[in-house]
Amino acid sequence: MTPMGPDDERALVARLRAGDTGAFDEVYDEYRPRVFAFLLRMTRSRTVAEDLLDEVWLRLVRHTTRLLPDTRLAAWLFTVARNLYWSHRRDALLEESSVPELLTLWPSPPPWPSPFDLAVAGELERRVERALLTLSPQYREVVLLVGHEGLTPTDAAVVCGISPEALRQRLSRARAALAEKLRETPAVAALTKGFAT
Amino acid sequence: MTVDLDDQQDDEVLASLARLRTCDVSQRRSHQLRRRCHAMLQAEPPANRWAWMVDGAPFRRVIVPALGSAWCLAYLVEIIRRTAAIYGYFGTP
Repeated sequence: MTPMGPDDERALVARLRAGDTGAFDEVYDEYRPRVFAFLLRMTRSRTVAEDLLDEVWLRLVRHTTRLLPDTRLAAWLFTVARNLYWSHRRDALLEESSVPELLTLWPSPPPWPSPFDLAVAGELERRVERALLTLSPQYREVVLLVGHEGLTPTDAAVVCGISPEALRQRLSRARAALAEKLRETPAVAALTKGFAT
Repeated sequence: MTVDLDDQQDDEVLASLARLRTCDVSQRRSHQLRRRCHAMLQAEPPANRWAWMVDGAPFRRVIVPALGSAWCLAYLVEIIRRTAAIYGYFGTP
């Protein structure tokens, strides 16, 4: 993942504004996996993450003519992705609260690793993934944006719609919570073994 | 010392996050979405051709007030003309 320079990014945005499909491809190839990984870890559902990812790119295409020349593409895309996630989450919570009797028909998330957990390699990586899942969405999004996506705290603050100072505080608490969860999270291998038997 | 230790642990936490895998959608889905976006980019709706004008400052600051003022002026002139005509100015009512 090579960071894009400001001049390169301005040129890319200018081409996007002009409707250049080549520029779209560059942005799409660079950010699609990153935005999808973010959405997947936030929603914990591949189907939902795929739907939200589609919407992120369709919104970009609809807004190309209105992009500002100095638009930070990473911040723009992750902001849209984050807003879509929270919107989806609100709808889902509303739906759940309106039909509480149906909730009993759906099993709660299983305590053993999901196929996604099993697919990721390495014990530490699995533990980090599991620890991430136990974090609140507010904490998860900041550690993912800064720790995994490499956004600057300023850009991450823009994405989350809070001040940089508030983001630094939230990030600090999120890192501490993640470290605590990592200490608490049992080794996945043991769980996997229990599930397999 | 404790602070240093905490910072070190925090750095390890962030480093472990950076090593997480990046996932992606299937190639088929990715191609479908790319094609759909290309089609939308290439088929720019006619409304967008004027979007720069509607969104831009000239439209908001000059053209809309000018059109509004012209309409008000024409309305005022017509009212004065008809009123004057009722009282016998500028010809019979």
